[in-house]
Amino acid sequence: MSRNGALLQVEGVSKSFGALAALTDVSLTVSAGEVVSVIGPNGAGKSTLFNVITGLHGATGGRVLFDGQVITGRAPEAVNRLGLAKTFQITNVFPGISVYENVRVAAQSRTPEAGRFTSLWRRPDVEGAVMELLVAFGLEGRRDEAAQNLSHGEQRYLEICLALATKPTLLLLDEPTAGMTPGETRDATALIRRMALARGLTLLLIEHDMSVVMGISDRVAVLHFGQKIAEGPPEAIRTNPQVIEAYLGGVDE
Amino acid sequence: MSSPLSPRAALMFAALALLPLTPWMSKYYLLLAFDALLFGAVAMSLDLLIGYTGLVSFGHAAFFGLGAYSAAVLLERGVTSLWLSLALSLVVVGLYALLVSYFATTRRGIYFALLTLIFAEVVYTVFRYTQAFGGSDGIQGLPAPSLLPGVLIDTPARNYYLVVAYLFFAYLVCRTLVSSHFGRVLAAIRENEDRARFLGYDVQRYKMGVCMISAMLTGLAGALYPGRAAYATPDLLHWSISGEFLIMVMIGGLGTLVGPIIGGAFFIVLQEKVSSYVQWYSIVVGLVLVFIVLFVPRGLLGFRSALRLHGLGRGAP
Repeated sequence: MSRNGALLQVEGVSKSFGALAALTDVSLTVSAGEVVSVIGPNGAGKSTLFNVITGLHGATGGRVLFDGQVITGRAPEAVNRLGLAKTFQITNVFPGISVYENVRVAAQSRTPEAGRFTSLWRRPDVEGAVMELLVAFGLEGRRDEAAQNLSHGEQRYLEICLALATKPTLLLLDEPTAGMTPGETRDATALIRRMALARGLTLLLIEHDMSVVMGISDRVAVLHFGQKIAEGPPEAIRTNPQVIEAYLGGVDE
Repeated sequence: MSSPLSPRAALMFAALALLPLTPWMSKYYLLLAFDALLFGAVAMSLDLLIGYTGLVSFGHAAFFGLGAYSAAVLLERGVTSLWLSLALSLVVVGLYALLVSYFATTRRGIYFALLTLIFAEVVYTVFRYTQAFGGSDGIQGLPAPSLLPGVLIDTPARNYYLVVAYLFFAYLVCRTLVSSHFGRVLAAIRENEDRARFLGYDVQRYKMGVCMISAMLTGLAGALYPGRAAYATPDLLHWSISGEFLIMVMIGGLGTLVGPIIGGAFFIVLQEKVSSYVQWYSIVVGLVLVFIVLFVPRGLLGFRSALRLHGLGRGAP
């Protein structure tokens, strides 16, 4: 662990796609054990920020450190192996194989066989870890169902199971409650919070819906047009005039 | 770990082993069975890519042909040891597959298929026009290979048992592979390769791995061919052979391993039987294949479940 217990340090990151500046000089620090949320209107650059952190995109400027190591420019699989997992805004599972097989392939990526020659014939036993996750998310009754036959809410949970099965220390959740009803959202938020506490996880959330993050975040950062316009505890953010302006006023929404 | 050999597969291999003892297996049928099982084995290896990983290779003839030429070059020089032929084909095909898969796996879908085809066409052209390999005539009049010094594989029955042994070996390799850690990752890549990366899997390495295994199994099959046919010709490397391998997998049933063996055997026997009656056999073969694709899209092995689906088979609800 690096200085001040900072697990993730985003230092002055910029990202442009051609002439479009998606992120401009964004800095953010997440300490171990914290729950931090990034909010902002549509198109504010939240997903781009996640994509730079997880290695899908390189950065045009600045750098990202995870556990003291520079990870900018590393491939997603390399970043994941360091202990940084991500869930997707649009459900992204393995549709044609069973729920159990989905989580199993995720869990076995952390066994000694992964990437080794022995993986060609060995079958690591990850049954315990897989079932624990399925039970925690209420999917144990659906274990033999193909993932594509799950309901939307169940697929969202499976999505989180996949990320957790890789035993991350930092979990990035990209709008985990997207498309859920208010009731489902409440349950999901509570469940995510419980899982994070039980596993000693650090969470970084993207949310579109401000009400979701207020209950569970220690700190909230606000992105607007690719720039960080505010950061602080949820109460301070709720009353920040610039944030209210970004959400309610101007050209957006 | 459970045994990779299911009771049904064990029964199939026992039947194959006993087949030559039946009265109607003449030399002609033994050689036909050799071809059927050899090409069935190749189709099974190709199924590792198509059915299990979602990669369509249009260049498997090159792996097969390179294996055949490896054996032929040794036999031509009087090196008759089967084991040396197999070893050389593994090295040659392995190196070639490393090169092809390194480049082809950087692209997806149709581009992957086209790259495998282009590489294979280069190999075809090289052998077709290189006089050292006999040009368009290939290498002809080869002696029989030997299993051990003095033990020649020179009869149809011996060749037949050799191909059954090879099929058994290849089946165990494939079955073990698809149920292993590695095999699970292949299924994940087939389903959603971007997500597999975010679980920490280096997708290209896994794809290269399965390409090389599939190619080397195909190369071993190729190395057995000159022992039976006494030649290796550039026709074995032609793209139409790659196309036939694809058809064998499709008509047998994707992602089943046993299905493509049946598909390969069915294709070879159908072609041989029809061509012995009529000259325009490819029209008949083509019609049969069209019928299978239209009405049994899941392949011959999926036929029973298709019957059940229509309430025709046993155990229908």
